[in-house]
Amino acid sequence: MPPTSESDALLIQRIRAGEAEAWNELIARFEGRLLAFVETRLRRRAASEDVVQETFIGFLTSLPNYDVARPLESYLFSIAAHKLTDHLRREGRRPTLPLASGASSQDEWDLPGSVRPASSIARSGERRHLEETALAAALSTLLGTWRERAEWEKIECAELLFVRGLANKDVAAGLSISEQAVANYKFDFLSRLRATVRQQGLPEDVFPELYEEA
Amino acid sequence: MKTPFSLAELEAYLDEALPAEAMARIEDAMRKSPELAQRLVAINGRRDAGVHSLGEIWRRHRLTCPARAELGSYLLGVLPEEHAGYIGFHLDTIGCRRCQANLVDLKSQQAEAAEAVASRRRKYFESSAGYLSRREGRT
Repeated sequence: MPPTSESDALLIQRIRAGEAEAWNELIARFEGRLLAFVETRLRRRAASEDVVQETFIGFLTSLPNYDVARPLESYLFSIAAHKLTDHLRREGRRPTLPLASGASSQDEWDLPGSVRPASSIARSGERRHLEETALAAALSTLLGTWRERAEWEKIECAELLFVRGLANKDVAAGLSISEQAVANYKFDFLSRLRATVRQQGLPEDVFPELYEEA
Repeated sequence: MKTPFSLAELEAYLDEALPAEAMARIEDAMRKSPELAQRLVAINGRRDAGVHSLGEIWRRHRLTCPARAELGSYLLGVLPEEHAGYIGFHLDTIGCRRCQANLVDLKSQQAEAAEAVASRRRKYFESSAGYLSRREGRT
């Protein structure tokens, strides 16, 4: 996903200046994808439109805290996800977790790199954000290299392992490759990320997956 | 009762990032299994303690989400076969909700009646523009 485009940054600048036409343009640009995102969960058009409406209002009220370095679409989707979660909780479809932080979505999207309210963060939010940014950059470089070389199988393997959380044998079956090939890709992937953690002096204990057996 | 969901799936559930059917499955299982709710609470606890997960970072930064223009090319069928194959994998096997939403939107732009879209956009604008002018008044 590319970073914020120049046209999005310019649009935000005009909205911050209070230009109604710019706000109209943002709505036109993003409402369709937000509506599709919400509607897959709610399956009802009117309720989905209400959630999108709340998303746009949430965006404007949180605009002073929005960092234009963050891609606009991702930011809007994160607000929509919180508004959707709140809606599902109100409907009783999404159970509320006992003693869980993040029980309400209020302003959570204001926190870059974290979805937890500040009061419950045991370590410094800034430090956590730096750790995440460093690892995301390393991941992005590695995936970018594979993409340039059209090594799609490696990307698919890593995505199944770490985004879907599948076991090596299930990844092997899903991609029709050997378990040894999966283990090799995983070893290579984790080794490179561990090198980044070492080089940047990041704490190892906050990235436990990097030190698991391949 | 042991639950079959992986840690990565439960993290994605908390981020409203799984396909709708998988989200519903977890909610259904949570009602029947107090153990599952406890696992989710424990995941929130790990996050609060500052533990990162690769899947969480990967999703939040949308590291493998294709750009919208790429999705448009995918729809038009003009991407090289292997590249298109990867986008299909990301949409269908990984089930990326945000990219699926973009694809639905791109498709519906061709199909939906212009008046219905204009009316919806007018409604969003009218209900939110007041917040815009209030901001303008403050600055």
